[in-house]
Amino acid sequence: MGAVTPPNRGAEDEGIDIPELISLVRRVVTPRVNDSATADDLVQETLARVLGAGDRVNKGMHGPYAIVTARNLISSLAKQQERQRRNQHRLADLQVAEHVDQQLLEGEKREAMATALARLSERDRQTLVAHEVNGQDTSSLGTQFGMTAGAVAAQLHRARARLRVEYLLVSEKVEPPTDRCRQVLFSLSAGDRRRQRELDTGRHLLECDMCVRISRPLLERTADDPRKDVIGIHRDADIVTARQAVREMASNVGFSRTDSTIIATAVSEIARNIVRFAEKGELSIEVVEDGRYGVQIVARDTGPGIADIDQAMVDGYSTYSGLGLGLPGARRLMDEFEVVSEVGRGTTVTMIKWRKEMHR
Amino acid sequence: MDSGPALVSILQQGSTLIASIHTALDDSQLIRFQRDLIEQIGARRSRGVIIDVAALDVLDSFGLRTLRDIAEMARLRGAITVLVGIQPDVALAMVELGLGTGSIETALDLEEGLAYLGVGVTASTVNHRPEHKMSPWG
Repeated sequence: MGAVTPPNRGAEDEGIDIPELISLVRRVVTPRVNDSATADDLVQETLARVLGAGDRVNKGMHGPYAIVTARNLISSLAKQQERQRRNQHRLADLQVAEHVDQQLLEGEKREAMATALARLSERDRQTLVAHEVNGQDTSSLGTQFGMTAGAVAAQLHRARARLRVEYLLVSEKVEPPTDRCRQVLFSLSAGDRRRQRELDTGRHLLECDMCVRISRPLLERTADDPRKDVIGIHRDADIVTARQAVREMASNVGFSRTDSTIIATAVSEIARNIVRFAEKGELSIEVVEDGRYGVQIVARDTGPGIADIDQAMVDGYSTYSGLGLGLPGARRLMDEFEVVSEVGRGTTVTMIKWRKEMHR
Repeated sequence: MDSGPALVSILQQGSTLIASIHTALDDSQLIRFQRDLIEQIGARRSRGVIIDVAALDVLDSFGLRTLRDIAEMARLRGAITVLVGIQPDVALAMVELGLGTGSIETALDLEEGLAYLGVGVTASTVNHRPEHKMSPWG
């Protein structure tokens, strides 16, 4: 026993009964600590301290001293654990480790965005970054560029629209097949109706598969507009769908029942022409305003086209078993009427009926 | 006619067929209606046909042409056709479109149509209502 470790020899000289001390401390510690390994550690620690303080402790008082030391150690351990438990949340790493592929995707997105940004004009990029990243407001940007805040907002709107298009092009890794595509996509992204009309975006979308694919996310932003409807025309049943849709829209903006019927009749004629001659096309119905309300119908197809529009506009001219009243009849029913056709490329009919104020 | 509620009903009253169109018909449905009706004229040995189009939302060139063809085919098979129930709005649109009913006879409503054909409906069996039937557009 005395031979166990050299330091104990000194302790034995001072008359400390180490085995008894060990069992004493063990009795104190064990019931208070669940974990046996921790209990052993505490016993060891207590003994070390008691022996270290050997000469400062009165003879015979080593037992009580050991008990107090053990209790103190236990309570400080408990405090330490308690503190750790209380502060655990500060150490929590809320950022879930990302998957490798996710990081890759993020990286691709960032890269696509960077490429898209680089494709913008210097001015657009500067304005966009100043506003979106640095949080500079439009009026201070206006002062900086010598513009009104409204003009800056409009520029931001255009820059964002352009960025959306470029981002989609980059992330889809496509290059527009025609010069027109970018302009069309941009006008769709910006929701610029006038520009869309000028570019005849609807027709372009019938022809260009890439633009259809790219424009889908752009159009989703502006969908659900009750004042605009696009109906695909492929079958007989679509004619009925189209004329019912236009009737509903017309009566929603206050057209009389008679005028709604007139518009529906014109739509029926025009939609039938698509089914008969072109097989595939679409009809867009839109509420227009120029101080008064109107319903505009644009019917497009990519069919064979009309070789002689003047002849087609003559009453009774028919190439199928109709009455030959399709185009001329619809023209009589509507206030504005225009046919554009190119042989081999298709036909676009645009017609508007204005609301007569006397009906309201 | 394939499924769901009937789009058209063809009823017989004596030697008269009464065909009512219940809803907007598309072109192929109209063609089927034409075929069915012409068949029925022969099968039922009808002398008169009344077509009630009150529920049609639109009568465009194709619709009218189909109805005219029906009338002509019926005539060739020995029956007279009367078109009834053209709504005022539809009538106006037809005129603006440039459509006439040509040789088809027309009557205001079913009652007038039956009277035109000389079908024996006495005043006691028909209620005279000031209003025509319910408008399909409410």
